[in-house]
Amino acid sequence: MAQFLAQYSIQRWMEMCPQGYLEDTVYGHEPSEHEPEQLLEDDDEREAAIRTTVGLVVGERCALAASSGLINAAPDYPSKRFLATQTLDEARHVEVFTQRLFDLGVKPDDLESTIDRYANPNLVKFAEVLLEKVSNGDFIAGVVGQNIVLEGLAFSVFEMLEAGSREFNPKFAHTLSGTIADERRHVGFGENRIGSLIQQHPEKKAEIERMQQEMTYYMLAVFADSFRGPQNTPKSAPEPTARAEWHGTNLSTASPEEMEEVLATTVLGEFKTRLARVGLEYQTPRVPA
Amino acid sequence: MIVDDFDPHALAEQDFLDEVHSFQFWFDSVEGYLSDRPYGRLETTVDEQLDDARRERLITTLCNYSVGETAALEGAAGLVQLAPDRNSKIFMATQVADEARHLEVFLHRLRELGVADPEREIERRAQPALVDFKGALLDLIGEGDWQAGVFAQNVILETMEYTVFRLHAATADPVTKDVLAGVISDERRHAGFGENDLGRSLAVDPSGRIRLREIRNQLDAMVVGVFEGALADVGAPADSSSELAGEYLDTIERLGLT
Repeated sequence: MAQFLAQYSIQRWMEMCPQGYLEDTVYGHEPSEHEPEQLLEDDDEREAAIRTTVGLVVGERCALAASSGLINAAPDYPSKRFLATQTLDEARHVEVFTQRLFDLGVKPDDLESTIDRYANPNLVKFAEVLLEKVSNGDFIAGVVGQNIVLEGLAFSVFEMLEAGSREFNPKFAHTLSGTIADERRHVGFGENRIGSLIQQHPEKKAEIERMQQEMTYYMLAVFADSFRGPQNTPKSAPEPTARAEWHGTNLSTASPEEMEEVLATTVLGEFKTRLARVGLEYQTPRVPA
Repeated sequence: MIVDDFDPHALAEQDFLDEVHSFQFWFDSVEGYLSDRPYGRLETTVDEQLDDARRERLITTLCNYSVGETAALEGAAGLVQLAPDRNSKIFMATQVADEARHLEVFLHRLRELGVADPEREIERRAQPALVDFKGALLDLIGEGDWQAGVFAQNVILETMEYTVFRLHAATADPVTKDVLAGVISDERRHAGFGENDLGRSLAVDPSGRIRLREIRNQLDAMVVGVFEGALADVGAPADSSSELAGEYLDTIERLGLT
């Protein structure tokens, strides 16, 4: 364990992030990059971007609360130190996505009301399930919920958004690239650290699987809210681009239903694989209405 | 933004807080003094051969620094949850990473000095007053009291650490001196946040001073114990106790908590 945890030291983090892929960036992107004029001038597009970004801020606020809350529950110094780097990563994500809201025209005084207005209630419930485990000091359930379920979800959503933004919005795509690199590290820690703890505490399995099932239910409900209904149908046909290919789907031409399908399939596939690696069995939730 | 070319104090108050409590500001700050310093030391610094007595004293000192930094790490993590606004939350998250880095560099230095199991050694050598202080700090934060937590963590603990580290750095071996230099720069930022945050909230609601004075009275005996222990550990002359206490008392006075 000690050898693998050495890969998650602050020293390693310093070399990889501030002195690595974040060097010379401002709020996660190149200083010269801006939101596209086309997006800022179209009220519907801008509102959709604000709605999406609010979802990212809500998710990252949850991740910040969870990772900092788990530090005091961690059973060893190396895990505490890793979670400290994760706390800082999550705070950075909160900051860069909040900054994007400002770049999209949200005034600082209106930030909280904008988040309240656009936050998806099912995403809030998803976060509450995790934060209850964290506030109870349940390290194993907390790390599974945070570093496998929440981070696994974030990882796929960010990847999809990044693929869909490369051509049209390089600034947002670059912001997402840095967060994807962070999330990959977080998911890796969750898988590596938690497997041995699950082996030591098999009695925790059923409770953790129930948590995963509940979180997955709310996640699928968020997807349904995000992709279904007339408000989610694009008003004009986008320009097809080969660079927007993600898991066999061209995101520049896919319908909302196709996007929901590819995202849900990808995230659930990742969950099953990662949970199996730590000795847990994926639990299918009931289908949200 | 390059910190050297930029004076945040020229900004209006809210813009100043947005700036100095951001990840971006932290990132630019630490880049200046932590780049190319693996585990806090310059690669060109040559380690000095320490005699047994000095090495032994240094191990005890570093063990107690690790207790302090663990308290600070757990305290800052708890304060992220309690922070009343986005800027404070993000600042506290940067402090969490700083404290974890301090713990890491001290543990690394202990290993360089030949301590095979630092965690066990820390338990063996921890000063009781410091352990008591850690418990009291985490209790205050556990009660969900942001103002009391910031006072105990960012004013008392950080001022103690800042003062002791500076005193120690003056006579430390070259590698420990390198390590302490980066830590001191961080502690200055943390103490500045604490004094600024409390100063602003006490200006709006001076009644908070009564409670903070009570907390100070409860913690003072532990603080004195920690200072005395630290002085003995770093082998400082007895007359440096007034210098140590001076920094702490000045901060307390600036906040109107005497």
